Amino acid sequence: MLACTAPRVALVALVVALVAACEDIDDVDELAIATDVGVTDEPCPDAVNEGNGCIYLGALSDDPGGEFGAIAEQLTAAQTAFWERVNERGGIGGYDVDVTTHLHVTGAEPEGHRAAFEELRDEVLALTQTLGAAATAEILDDLDDEDMLAVPASATSAWLFTDVILESGASYCVAAANALDHAVDALDEVETVLAVHYPGQYGADAAAGVSYAADAHEVEFVAFETRPGAEEQAAAIDAVLAEQPDVLFVATGPLEMSTIASQAAARGFDGHVLGPAPTWDAALLESPAAELFEERYWLAAAWPPWDADTPGHEALRDALDEAAPRDGYLAGWISQYPLQAAIEAAFDRGDLTRAGLRAALEDLDEVDYEGMLPGGAGHFAGEDPDDQAVRESLVLQVDPEASTGTSVREDFFAGSTIADVELSRPCFEEL
Amino acid sequence: MSLLAQSLVNGLGQGAAYALIAVGFVIIYKSTYVISFAQPALMAAGATAVALLTVQGGFNFFVAVAITVVAAAALGFGIERSILRPMVGKPVFIVAIITLGLDVVIRIITNRFIGFEVRPMGDPWGLERTQVLGITFQHRHVAAFVTAGVILALLYAFFQYTRMGLAMRAAAFDQETALAQGVNVGTVFGLSWAFAAVLAAIAGVFIGAGSTIDQGTWVVGLKALPAIILGGLDSVPGAVIGGLAVGIVEALFATYQSTYMPWLGSNFSVVAPYVLMLLVLMVRPYGLFGTPEVQRV
Repeated sequence: MLACTAPRVALVALVVALVAACEDIDDVDELAIATDVGVTDEPCPDAVNEGNGCIYLGALSDDPGGEFGAIAEQLTAAQTAFWERVNERGGIGGYDVDVTTHLHVTGAEPEGHRAAFEELRDEVLALTQTLGAAATAEILDDLDDEDMLAVPASATSAWLFTDVILESGASYCVAAANALDHAVDALDEVETVLAVHYPGQYGADAAAGVSYAADAHEVEFVAFETRPGAEEQAAAIDAVLAEQPDVLFVATGPLEMSTIASQAAARGFDGHVLGPAPTWDAALLESPAAELFEERYWLAAAWPPWDADTPGHEALRDALDEAAPRDGYLAGWISQYPLQAAIEAAFDRGDLTRAGLRAALEDLDEVDYEGMLPGGAGHFAGEDPDDQAVRESLVLQVDPEASTGTSVREDFFAGSTIADVELSRPCFEEL
Repeated sequence: MSLLAQSLVNGLGQGAAYALIAVGFVIIYKSTYVISFAQPALMAAGATAVALLTVQGGFNFFVAVAITVVAAAALGFGIERSILRPMVGKPVFIVAIITLGLDVVIRIITNRFIGFEVRPMGDPWGLERTQVLGITFQHRHVAAFVTAGVILALLYAFFQYTRMGLAMRAAAFDQETALAQGVNVGTVFGLSWAFAAVLAAIAGVFIGAGSTIDQGTWVVGLKALPAIILGGLDSVPGAVIGGLAVGIVEALFATYQSTYMPWLGSNFSVVAPYVLMLLVLMVRPYGLFGTPEVQRV
C-alpha cells in the first residue's frame, strides 16, 4: 500500500510544484518588469500591436523654419520611421514605442529647450532627440538628475564625457583627424594645413582633430575662427590666400565652405580641401565650384552615405521610400540604435525605469547598427571615455552619380593619429 | 603693392553690389523720407528668383534676370500702392516699422522657395578670372562693377532728361509744391519703390554670383546701411561712394587686419564698415554728401 501511495504523493507533489512554479513565472512577468515614468500598460495612441503597453519617448527638436530646421525635419522623420519599424516588428517586450506624442519644437534655443524639457520631464522614459549643442548643455544636469537618457543630434567629442548622452559613431574630432591622416597619405606633399572653423562644439572640435593629426605628421597647423554667413568669409578667404596651405580644412556650413573654397580658388588657391560631413550639400554640384569639389574636396564622415550597401541603409531607404535622399536622415536613423539596444537591455534586466535604463548601459558592450557603423561601435559599458570612443571613420569623395553627391573614398579606418591619442577631455578644449 | 591692389579690386567688386542696394535705399528715402528696411528681403527675393529660374527652370541667365527685373518692379510698385500709400501723412517712424514687417514677410516667403539647401545662382561668370599685371580680376566682380556703372548712368539720365525724372526730383525736393505743380506724387512714390526693388534684385544676383545663396543671404543687404549713412541718406552719389567704401574697407581689413591688428580678433572686417560709419558721423552727422538739416529754433 505504501509502495503504491508514495508514487501518488510524489506525483501530486510534482503537480503542485509545477502549478506553483507556473504561478511564479506569471508573477515574474507582471512584477519583475519595473517601470516608472513614460511606460504604461495602456496601448500607445495609434498602437501597432494590440495588447501591447506603451513606451513614450520625447524629442526636443526645431521647427522647419528654425535655425536647424533642415536637419530637424530629416532627423525627426528618420527617427519616426525607425521606431515604426520597431513597432511593426512587435515592439520591445510587449511594449510599442511612441515618439510623436511628446515631440516638442523648441527652436533649439537654450531657454525654449528648457521650457519644453520641463513639459516632458514627467512624461517620457528617454529622449530620441535633443537638438543643438548649447541647448542640450542647458538640460544636461537635469537629464543626469532624472536618469533620463538622450540622443544628441551632433557628434561633438564632449558627449563621450557624459553618462546620459547616447552618441553614435566617430566624433567630429576623430573623423577630422582620420581625414587628415588620409590626406597626408594620399597627397604628394602636405606641409601646411589651415583649419577655418566655427567656434564651439562642432567647428572647434573638428579643428582640434586636425591639429592632432598635424602634430602627428609634423605638419604646420594654423587655425582661423570664422562665423556663419557668406558675407562673413572675406577674412577667411584672405587667410587662405595668405597661408596658401597644402590642405584647407573647413568646418562650417555648406554655404560658408563653398564660399571660402571657391573664392579662394578663384583667387589662386590650389590646395586640397577637407571638411566634416555637415559642410556638404548635394546642391553644390550645381554651383560654379562643382569641378573644384569633384577634384579637390573630401569629406570626413562618421558613416557611409545614403547609397551604401548595408542592411541598415537598405532598411532606412525602404522606410523612407518616398523621401528624397538626404544624409540628415542617416543621422536620425543611426542615432536610434543605441536607445533601442538600451531599452531591450533594460527589459532583459527586468527594470524599465529610467534608472534601470541608465543602468542597462553597463550591458552595452556593442550595439548592432546593422552594418551602418563598424563593429565595436556603441560601447557604452565601463566608465572610460577613451575606451568608449569610436575611432573608425570614413573619407568620402564628391560623386555626381551618387544620390547625395558623395561616395566612399576610404571605408571605415582608424588613422594612426587617433589610435595614439588618449581622449581624456573634449577635443575642442585643447584647441 | 600687388596685395593692396588686389584687395582694392576685390573691395570695388563687392562694393558695387552694396552700392546698388544703397541707391535703392536713397531713392525711397528721397521721395518718401522713409528708410525702407525691406531692401534686404527684396534683394534676397531677387537673387532667389534668378537662382530658381536658371538652375530649376532652365532659363538662360540673362532671360532669368530680365524676368526678375520686371517682377521686382511690379512687386515694388505693388507694395507701395497697396500697403504704403494708405500710410501717406502718417509719421515716418510708423511707415519705417511697416517696412520692417514687410521685410519679415518677404523673407519668410522667399525662404520657402529657397528651402533648406544652398541655391547656386547659375550665372555665366562662375569662378572665371583674368590676370592683369599680377592682379586677379574675377569676372563676376567686373560684371558687377560694369553693371552698377551702367545702371547708375541710366538713372542719372532718367532723372536729368525725362519728365518723370524731373517730377521725381521735384517731389524729392518739396512734395507739396510738386503736387501743386501737377506732379502725380503717388506715381513718384510707386516708381521709387519699383526702382529700389529692381536695384535690390540686381544686387542680389551679384551677391550670389560665383557662389550660392541660402536663407541667410538677406543679411548682406544690411551692409547698405553703413553705406547710406556714410554717403548721406539723401545723396545718390553718396550712396554709390558709400557702397564702394564699405566694400573697400571690408576688403582691406580682411587682408591686413590679421597681420597688423591681430588683437582685434578674426572677422573684424565685418565690423569695420560700421566703425568707419561712426567715425564719419562724428565729423559729419549728415554723412559725407548728405544735406545738412537746418532747423529754426
